[in-house]
Amino acid sequence: MKQIIELSVNGESSEFAVEPQETLLEALRDRMGLTGTKEGCGTGECGSCTVLIGGKPILSCLTLAVECHKRDIVTIEGIGDGNDLSPVQQAFVDCGAIQCGFCTSGMVLSSEVLLKENPNPQEKDIYKALEGNLCRCTGYNKIIEAVHKASEQMVTEQE
Amino acid sequence: MRLPKFEHVQPSSREEASRLLQEHGSRARLVSGGTDLYPRMKYGLTRPDVLISLKGLPATPPTVDPNGDLHVDALMTLADLARSQTVLEKTPLLSEAALSVASNQIRHMGTLGGNLCQENRCPYYNQTHTFQFVEPCFKRNGDQCYLIPKGKKCWAVFSSDTAPALISLGASATILAPKERRQLPLENLYTGDPLKPLTISDGEVLTEIIIPCPLSLRGTAFMKFTLRGGMEYAALSVAVVLDMENDGVLCRAARITVGSVGAGPIRAGKGENAMAGQRLSKNLFQEVAQLVVSETHPFPHHGYSAAYLRACLEVETRRAFSLAAEQITRNPGDPG
Amino acid sequence: MENKLDYVGQRIPRKDGPVKVTGRAKYTVDVQLPGMLVGRILRSPHPHAKILNIDVSRAERLKGVKAIITSDDTIGVKHAFVDTPRYPADEPPIAKDRVLFVGEAVAAVAATDADVAEEALSLIKVDYEPLPAVFDVEEAMQPGAPEVHTSHPKVKEPLSNIAGKTESGWGDIKTGFAQADYVREDRFESHLRTHGYLEPQATVASYEPGGKLNVLTSSQGPFFKRAKLAQTLGLPFSRVRVHKAYVGGGFGGKIDLFYHEFCAALLSMKTGRPVKIEASREEIFTAYRHGEPLIIEIKTGVKNDGTLVAQQFRVINKSGAYRGTGVVVIFLAWGFIIGAYRVPNFKYEGYAVYTNNPPRTAQRGHGCPQMRFAVESQLDMIAEKLGIDPLEIRLKNARQAGEILPNGDNVYNCGLTECIEKAAEHTEFKKKYGQARSASPSMGSIRHGIGIGVSAYITGSLIYPNSSSTVIKMNDDGTVTLLTGALDIGQGAETILCQIVAEELKLPMEDIEVIAADTETTPVDIGSWISGNAFVTGNAVRVAGTEVREKLLSIAAEELEASLEDLVLKDKCVYVAGSPSHKLTYQQLVSLSIQKRDGDPIIGEGHWRTVRGEPYHPSLATTKGRWSDSYAFGAQVAEVEVDIETGQARLIRAVTAHDCGFPINPTLVEGQMDGQVSMALGHAFMEEVLMKEGRTLNPSWLDYRMPTIHNTAKSEVIDVITERYEIGRPYRTKEVGEGYVSGILAAIANAVYDAVGVRLYTTPFTPEKILQGLGKLK
Repeated sequence: MKQIIELSVNGESSEFAVEPQETLLEALRDRMGLTGTKEGCGTGECGSCTVLIGGKPILSCLTLAVECHKRDIVTIEGIGDGNDLSPVQQAFVDCGAIQCGFCTSGMVLSSEVLLKENPNPQEKDIYKALEGNLCRCTGYNKIIEAVHKASEQMVTEQE
Repeated sequence: MRLPKFEHVQPSSREEASRLLQEHGSRARLVSGGTDLYPRMKYGLTRPDVLISLKGLPATPPTVDPNGDLHVDALMTLADLARSQTVLEKTPLLSEAALSVASNQIRHMGTLGGNLCQENRCPYYNQTHTFQFVEPCFKRNGDQCYLIPKGKKCWAVFSSDTAPALISLGASATILAPKERRQLPLENLYTGDPLKPLTISDGEVLTEIIIPCPLSLRGTAFMKFTLRGGMEYAALSVAVVLDMENDGVLCRAARITVGSVGAGPIRAGKGENAMAGQRLSKNLFQEVAQLVVSETHPFPHHGYSAAYLRACLEVETRRAFSLAAEQITRNPGDPG
Repeated sequence: MENKLDYVGQRIPRKDGPVKVTGRAKYTVDVQLPGMLVGRILRSPHPHAKILNIDVSRAERLKGVKAIITSDDTIGVKHAFVDTPRYPADEPPIAKDRVLFVGEAVAAVAATDADVAEEALSLIKVDYEPLPAVFDVEEAMQPGAPEVHTSHPKVKEPLSNIAGKTESGWGDIKTGFAQADYVREDRFESHLRTHGYLEPQATVASYEPGGKLNVLTSSQGPFFKRAKLAQTLGLPFSRVRVHKAYVGGGFGGKIDLFYHEFCAALLSMKTGRPVKIEASREEIFTAYRHGEPLIIEIKTGVKNDGTLVAQQFRVINKSGAYRGTGVVVIFLAWGFIIGAYRVPNFKYEGYAVYTNNPPRTAQRGHGCPQMRFAVESQLDMIAEKLGIDPLEIRLKNARQAGEILPNGDNVYNCGLTECIEKAAEHTEFKKKYGQARSASPSMGSIRHGIGIGVSAYITGSLIYPNSSSTVIKMNDDGTVTLLTGALDIGQGAETILCQIVAEELKLPMEDIEVIAADTETTPVDIGSWISGNAFVTGNAVRVAGTEVREKLLSIAAEELEASLEDLVLKDKCVYVAGSPSHKLTYQQLVSLSIQKRDGDPIIGEGHWRTVRGEPYHPSLATTKGRWSDSYAFGAQVAEVEVDIETGQARLIRAVTAHDCGFPINPTLVEGQMDGQVSMALGHAFMEEVLMKEGRTLNPSWLDYRMPTIHNTAKSEVIDVITERYEIGRPYRTKEVGEGYVSGILAAIANAVYDAVGVRLYTTPFTPEKILQGLGKLK
């Protein structure tokens, strides 16, 4: 049976009638056209579908849309400001932390949360924050570099 | 991958959840984080008609009762559990075990209750059976094990990381049934039967974990062996609690629980007895580790042979003892 | 003209960075078309069976089902990666009469949504008669084994299931071994790994009124896909358009024509509506193509001083149910031996053998990691036996600049010696090597080890479509648009091609627009495989850029009344040297060209191919013929930690000294190196597709353990520069995307040995094998 839900995504609310089995990932991609959120596996193992709910990184492939009623959702499309990249996004571009780009949305979102909670993370903190985001292209080296760079950038900006 | 159709119910309390569960019987499943259930539903391993979701219910933060025992809401996410200062102070073992589960995202979704009530796993079982397999295995109501055909039994392993830690901590579980609320030692939650791993029945909800925190000298350690360090179920895990006499040298009692190598968490009773009353030493650790291996009979699973798991378990258990011995401290709040 | 480089060689951020980091890059699966149907594929549950009957009647009646196809709907044309008189195509696009592996397509459905499509699959009734199947490659070779296909008629040995054979050799192998002071024989075996591209395969096919088939597909090159689709669908090439969406990684796994591509196209032709088929991750694990495991037997003869005098190989490729690239890898395996060391007497035999496993395909390095693992492991064993250090034996036999390989290829400015020396120096190899094995037992449980491996890899070869061609057109505002068939699969193809355009025209990167990978609007390109992008397509772009530059200069010379040599290109202007105000902007020059050159808007065209002057790819059967124009060389050092109690090993540091000619973009080169190091450590320590009777046992990223961020090894890259980019001259830069997954695998194996004295002959190097080697497993 369909339920009417209100999804607040990147600060904009809209209503949908969804079946209970519809995942947040499907709602974002198929109903809202927010295809920046990717499905790499559908079973919670790769992190490509990471979005933020209430500021926490979660897997949209294992989240029911009906359970996101009136929750505050942020997707990759909500990071940065129009044409201006966030410090994390900019660092990913500058450091060569992107290759094929399929894991990038999830990587960026996981990194955004990490730096918000821990502006000056150590290597082990980065590992724990990004352990659920698989990347096959980069070997992670430049992603780690980018997180450090974004951290420095954000600390400098705050000073 | 997509979820099959189901009816979704969001009760407003645990009591209502229990009532609904009983009402719908085997047609219904309880779900909180969904990180264990939804992949299995996507693979078609289980097809509940009704999902009773606890997701909207707020979790009570961990509390310490007048006895000093720690109460943890089963609905607490593993991420919140891992970062709870109260839990870290009272039972760092549990914090560590919670932090070792899966990935950051999954810890933000998955709950303690879900981690304790997860299904057993096996590479044959955990996939869609559209074209890959012809004959159902024991766990899919068949009469064979595809991986170990001579075994005549199911070899699916139970892989919770928090369960061994909590069992070693002597935790008990509060179970809410429609008409009663009961407590049982957490280890009694597990049947040891891979086909039906849990002892709780339809209509019952695991609501709380209570962890006794005695005012004594205690050393704990949790070891989880994996190949890649994250986003991985354990090849094996071992949780050790050493309660010490006041001299800090003699072991008063030990609790040792091994995870991921059997149909449920395995208490190593012989090992525990051999440790009790003994003076801690490297030799003792070695002897007891061997005893633990001999009484746990690791299942081969996920590409690891039984022989390797035995060897690795001995090492990890010995290391857990050493680590626990190094970390012997007095429980916070204990005056002396 | 001065040769100060402003773009080539610079660390320029990739062009598609912003669109990817904001989630705006559209991948195939992101594409929605009006009226689009969802396709699904029915696959064989049997490793080998006769198809007795297929009944689709119930499925057809299901509401929402728009079309169902079986082999009866095809034109009956087989296809294959290799399709030659010796190796005619052997794969039906949908199984006909017989299924040969679990996962082979038997039928496909297009429906209004995925639920209906999947329900329809369950309603198709297929009657099978199971047949005996064979999974082990050496069993499959035995006379009397279940026959997957008739053994190759030209292979006269009494063997079954031979899909193909490569034979090669030179010198006199018998004399060679007779001259040797020491001969040893070893057998190595590699295992099944998947590519691990993050983006699942997907295709959107739309057959449009007027008879044009439009295809978006996650691939490694649109031209190859167009050829295969046209052939199997019976359409002229010109009626099939394959074009670009962003591609989420390939690593060799997206080259072949796949069932979902063919079926999406045919279903769209049948329904007249767009059809999308996405593979699930599980399907990719269970029914798609993984890499090619090899069995490698080596016999090597050396002089006491370490000089190689004879080497003999027998290689068996554990192919699946169709030939696939199986007969390519046994050719390549030979090729990945010849580049690094001189061997005067040589004999090689390679077999590709059918089994009832799913077909295999190319995988980054395509045989090179397996071969280097074997060769370099054995070389270390030989060195130890002879009391020579691992560096010395490599330096003694390493190819030198200007050497001609037995096949006639020239290694030109080969920098292998320098690579070995620099990698060793940077890691203090000599000081560290052998330390762990003489360590006292009281040192705790962690042992450190260091090891080296080298590789040589081709830079493009002649496989259809053999040519890369590009067009650069100037726009009215003085910017340019580059048209290239090259496909960026993440490696940064578009970025480096733009750097070349930028360099040739001294034009900022942001003034270059790229239209890429569209069989209709862009010229042909070899595709993102065989490691030819930077060299082959890059040179094509350079030629096109040269033509544009010359046109700009010619008009400028006329208008500015200056001689060509005195003109300078800078900031989208041409000016007279020493007199920057005496200038014309590109915008003005375009306008002038149209006025004064009969309407020429300034378009440049360039094409290139490797081994120019050589018409064909060398023989897969005999290896005769030139193979490549340019070889990359590298030496890689691995430092590992091994826990002698659990047997667990980990790569902590990888140093890659690479002769890639010159890096067009050092950041992208490092990205390739880091990625290869990571893939190699996954190969070495954790990844394995587990199979039983042709069925996959771990079809998920939980149980197939691809490296996570926890496994990151420190990766250091040393450039050994052996070539130069000069404006207006052809260059011979070298590949960086495949060879370096190889030396490092060998280095890891050698480092594990150095750490704990355990020699591993099979991958992966699991804790179990290491513990076994240490004698600690009961």
